[in-house]
Amino acid sequence: MKALLALTVVGGSVAHATLTPMISVAGVTPDLPLIMVILLALRRGPEFGCVAGFVTGLLQDATGGGLIGVQALTKGLIGFGIGVAGGRLRVSQPLVQVPGLVVLTIAEGLARFALLQIFRFPAPFGELMAYVVLPQALCNGFIGAAVVLSLAWAQSFRGRFEGEQS
Amino acid sequence: MRKVALLVSLVAVCLLILTLQTRGYGARARDAFAIVTTPISAGLAKASRATFGLWTTYLDWKNVRVENYRLREEVQQLRVHALRVTETDEENGRLRRLLALQEHLPLTTLSGEIIAREWGGWIRSLTVNRGRSDNVPRLTAVISPDGLVGRIVDVRPGASIVQVLTDPASTVGAHVARTRTPGIVEGDPRGTIRFKFMARDGAAIQVGDALVTAGQGGVFPRGIPIGVVRSIDDRGGALFHYAELTAAVDFARVDEVLLVTDGSQRDVTAFFPTVGR
Repeated sequence: MKALLALTVVGGSVAHATLTPMISVAGVTPDLPLIMVILLALRRGPEFGCVAGFVTGLLQDATGGGLIGVQALTKGLIGFGIGVAGGRLRVSQPLVQVPGLVVLTIAEGLARFALLQIFRFPAPFGELMAYVVLPQALCNGFIGAAVVLSLAWAQSFRGRFEGEQS
Repeated sequence: MRKVALLVSLVAVCLLILTLQTRGYGARARDAFAIVTTPISAGLAKASRATFGLWTTYLDWKNVRVENYRLREEVQQLRVHALRVTETDEENGRLRRLLALQEHLPLTTLSGEIIAREWGGWIRSLTVNRGRSDNVPRLTAVISPDGLVGRIVDVRPGASIVQVLTDPASTVGAHVARTRTPGIVEGDPRGTIRFKFMARDGAAIQVGDALVTAGQGGVFPRGIPIGVVRSIDDRGGALFHYAELTAAVDFARVDEVLLVTDGSQRDVTAFFPTVGR
């Protein structure tokens, strides 16, 4: 199971650079590793979320060619935060998870922008939000909805199958 | 506590990496990561290309099928269109020939269109769309640009029945254009025509000789092509010999005809250039 999770995290983050350009809509690509980190953190808690976020972010940084460590930090923080929140708040409903994905994507964008400001990132905030962060947040919301519904369906199917066997 | 420690250490690691990069150690760090990530990226790219390649192939195949279906329909329509054009072209050609003949013939003629055919062995006739209202007299000669078709045997309101040369009851006075050998062209139950002539007159008839109307019975003008000798049936000492003919007109395909409505017996050989070839 741990190996599978590790493969998911590592493979997913590298796959992001390879596969997501193919599923882009009007130039907007979803941040699949972020969706993965959030969903894993909700199920596995803050420690797992933090490590998963760190690893996926690091690999994304490495494959993307930017400053290594920026996404590792933001995603690690998001993974940790959502893992903590998942234990205290009722966030198991898909109706909460999907808008949550949108909000968290925006939060991650803001955090990344803030961090990059230390390193004199030149892009203006308004344009970055309008053309990159917000469209990606919406895209993540839609993709996240599909993933959440698929997982819920898979779980119910598995439960029914196990019930029939016992 | 453990959670916080983990978070703090990861944040510290990230900041350290970032700081190292700003101090000029970025290239080494990237190289180290590239050793891990590049093979995975390459493998995934290959796999995704194969998958999307399959998908593209499937889409192409599907599009080709749709396009193929559309093109087949288009070809079908074009074929029908081409057939129509060819048919119109042919009809145009036939009508031009008929018109040319009508204009040049020194006879009063009426053009008509074949609207029905009776092609059983007992009777061989055509129905032409000219009848009593057109003042078509009975026994009117019916011709086409290729030669003699037959004669009108029944005039009805709006249509007339043409007895075709191949009708078993049809007889036409004729002679060989080259030798002037007289005789009678008869229809045959097999749907062919033959020339019946007296043995003493027909010694010089050869295969390929053209036969034209004799113009002596008062029905057909003289010189209308009837057919060409295909074979000669020499019956030895018999009084009459026969020659099998190939008709000048393809009765099964003739669509437009001229009805010779005056009783003129003028020689019209010159207006049918195929005679004597």
